[in-house]
Amino acid sequence: MAGNTESNGAGPVKVARRGLSEGAFAWLLVAPAMAFIAVIVAWPLLETVRLSFTNADLGGEEWVGLANYEKLLGSAKFFEIILRTFWWMFLSVSLKLVLGLVGATLLNAAIPGRALFRVLIMPPWVIPVAIGCIGWLWLYNGYFGLISGVAMRTGLTDGPFEILAYKTSAFYAAIVTDVWVGTPMVSLFFLAAMQGVNRDLYEAAWVDGAGRWYRFRRITLPQIMPVMVSMALLSAIWTFNSFEIIWILTQGGPRGGTTTMIVDTYKTAIGNFKFGEGAARAVVIVVLLAVFSLIYLRVLSAVNKRYGVK
Amino acid sequence: MATLDLQNITKTFGAAKVLHGIDLAIRDKEFVVFVGPSGCGKSTLLRIIAGLDEASSGRIVIGGQDVSHAAPVDRGISMVFQSYALYPHLSVYENIAFPLRVAGLPEAEVKAKVGRAADILQLTEKLQLKPGQLSGGQRQRVAIGRSIVRNPRVFLFDEPLSNLDAALRGDMRVELSQLHRDLSATMVYVTHDQVEAMTMAHRIVVLNKGRVEQFGSPMELYHHPATRFVATFIGQPNMNLVPATVLGSDAAGLAVEFDGGHRVVLPVEPGNAKPGDRVEVGLRPENLRQGEGLSLRLRVLERLGGVAIVHGQSADGGRICASLAGDAAVTEGETIGLSFNPADAHVFDAEGRVMRRRQAPALAA
Repeated sequence: MAGNTESNGAGPVKVARRGLSEGAFAWLLVAPAMAFIAVIVAWPLLETVRLSFTNADLGGEEWVGLANYEKLLGSAKFFEIILRTFWWMFLSVSLKLVLGLVGATLLNAAIPGRALFRVLIMPPWVIPVAIGCIGWLWLYNGYFGLISGVAMRTGLTDGPFEILAYKTSAFYAAIVTDVWVGTPMVSLFFLAAMQGVNRDLYEAAWVDGAGRWYRFRRITLPQIMPVMVSMALLSAIWTFNSFEIIWILTQGGPRGGTTTMIVDTYKTAIGNFKFGEGAARAVVIVVLLAVFSLIYLRVLSAVNKRYGVK
Repeated sequence: MATLDLQNITKTFGAAKVLHGIDLAIRDKEFVVFVGPSGCGKSTLLRIIAGLDEASSGRIVIGGQDVSHAAPVDRGISMVFQSYALYPHLSVYENIAFPLRVAGLPEAEVKAKVGRAADILQLTEKLQLKPGQLSGGQRQRVAIGRSIVRNPRVFLFDEPLSNLDAALRGDMRVELSQLHRDLSATMVYVTHDQVEAMTMAHRIVVLNKGRVEQFGSPMELYHHPATRFVATFIGQPNMNLVPATVLGSDAAGLAVEFDGGHRVVLPVEPGNAKPGDRVEVGLRPENLRQGEGLSLRLRVLERLGGVAIVHGQSADGGRICASLAGDAAVTEGETIGLSFNPADAHVFDAEGRVMRRRQAPALAA
C-alpha cells in the first residue's frame, strides 16, 4: 500500500534512464516498426515513384521525366480501363454489401441450425482463392460447365456458351466470382455488429409496437451503420485492388474486357517488361487509393458522430 | 389506469420450473414492488406481464381484459428496462417520441406529448442531446419519458435504479414516488433492493424460488412477516435469528430458553409448540439495546453517526447484530449485554413458519 501511494504521488513515471530523454525513449520503442515499414513499404513506394519517371525495361533505364504520365493520361484506352475499374468496384461492392446484409440478417435470426449455417457460409472465404476460381472456371466452361449445360438443356442457349470468351459475359462472370469470395467476410462482420446490438433495444421497441421491419430499419441499420461504412470503404479498396480472381479466370481478357487498373499495371510491368510505364500506372493507383482512404476516414468519423459512437 | 390480475402463472424453462403458480390481484393506481433475491423469478414474472415472455400456464388480466396471449403493445403496458434501452443513435426527443412514431401519430401530437413528458421529467433542455451525452439519472428519466408518452394502463419497471450510484438512487426513489402520485398510475416495480421496496411500495410482493412468500404493505411485512425468509429479507440490517428451546406455553405466551441460558416469555401464539421443541427467535437489530439478557462479544463496531451498528458473537456462538445509539460507550473486543422488549420478538418454528405476535402494532392494509 505504502509503495503504491508513493509512486502515485511521484507524478509522471520516469522512463528516462541511462541518460535517455522521454522523447528519445519513445522513438527507440517505435524504431523497429519504423525500420520495418521503411524497408517493406516506404522504399518500394519511393522506388516505384522514381521508376515511373524512367523508361526502365529489361535493357536498362533512362530518365524520361513526365513522359510516362503524358502517354498514360493521353490514352483513351487507359480511361476506358479506369471507368471499367470503377464499374467493377461499384457493382461488386454493392452486391457484397447487399448480400452480406441479407446473409447476416438470416444468420442472426433465431432459426434452428443457425450455428451450422454460420459455418457453411465460410468456405468461399476460407479455401484458397486459386482453388475457388478453378471451380468457377469449370462452372463457366462452355462444354462441360454446369451453367452452360443447364442453359442448353433448358433451351436458353442453342449450343455450348463459353461464358469467359465474350467481353461482357466474362466481365460479369468475374464479378460473380469476386462477390462469391468477398461476401462471407462482409456477412460475418455485419453479423458480429448485429450481435453487438443490445437486445433490450429490440424488446423496448417490441413493447412499443414496432414490427420486425421497423425494428430492422430504426434499430439494426443505424446501430450497425459504422460497421457498414467501414466495410463498404474497405471492400471498395480491396475490390479495386482485386487481382488474382481476374487473373486466374481471364488474365484480363478477352480483348481487355476484364482488365482493371491493377491487371493493366501487372500486364504492362511484368507481362511486357515496361517497368517504367507500369510504375506510372501503380502511382496513379496509389493516388486514387489515397483519396479513397481520405474519404473513408472523413465519412467514418461523420457516421460515428451521427450514430452516437464515441 | 387499471387493475392487474395474475392467475396461477407458471413458467418453466426446459426442466426448470421458475414460477410455481403465482396469484396476485393488484389494485388500480397501486404501486406494487416485486422484491426477492437473484433468481427468485421476479424479472421473469415482469416479462410475462409485459408479454416479452409467455407464461407456461395461467392468465393475465389487465383492466378486466384477458391479455395472456396479446402482443405487448396491445396490453396497454409500458416498460422501463434496467439498461434503460435508449437508442444511442437517436436524440432524447426521438427516443421519447419512438412509441408515438411507431403508432404513426401526426407530428403536432408527437411534439405536444414529448413536450409534456419532458416538462414532467425536467428534460426540456436536453431534448436535442444524444443519450451518450446524459448522466445516468437523466438517461433513466428519458426511459421513463418514453413510457409516459404511451399513456399506458400499467407501468412496468425492471430494476430501473440498479445502475445508478447510491446518492442518485435515493433521489430517483423520491422522484419515482412523486411521479406515481402525479400520474396516478398502476405501477409494478421489480427490485432486489428491499430499501426501494419499503420506501416506494403501497404493497410488496416478496418472491422466493418462484413462489410468493408474502404480499402485503411494507409495515405489514416488517411487523408481521409470514415466514422466516420474509423476516430476514425485509429490514436493514437483517433480523437476527437466535436459536432457543421451548420451555412451555401459557396465557402470557411462549416461554423459551436461549442456548446461552437466558430465559424469557414471548407474547406469541404458541400453536403446537411443545416443551423441548427448537425454535428461532427473530430480533431486529433496532429492537436490541444494552442491558441484561443476551451476551454479545463485540467483534466489529460501525459508527454511522446517529446509530452504531455492532456485530459480534452470542454466547452460543451465533452471530448477532445490534443497532445502538450513535455514541454508545462500547469498544471492539468487549462483551456487552443486550436486552429487548419481548413484544418485539418474532418466533419461527423448525419449518420456518412464524408464530403470530400478540402485541405487534395494528396495521392498515
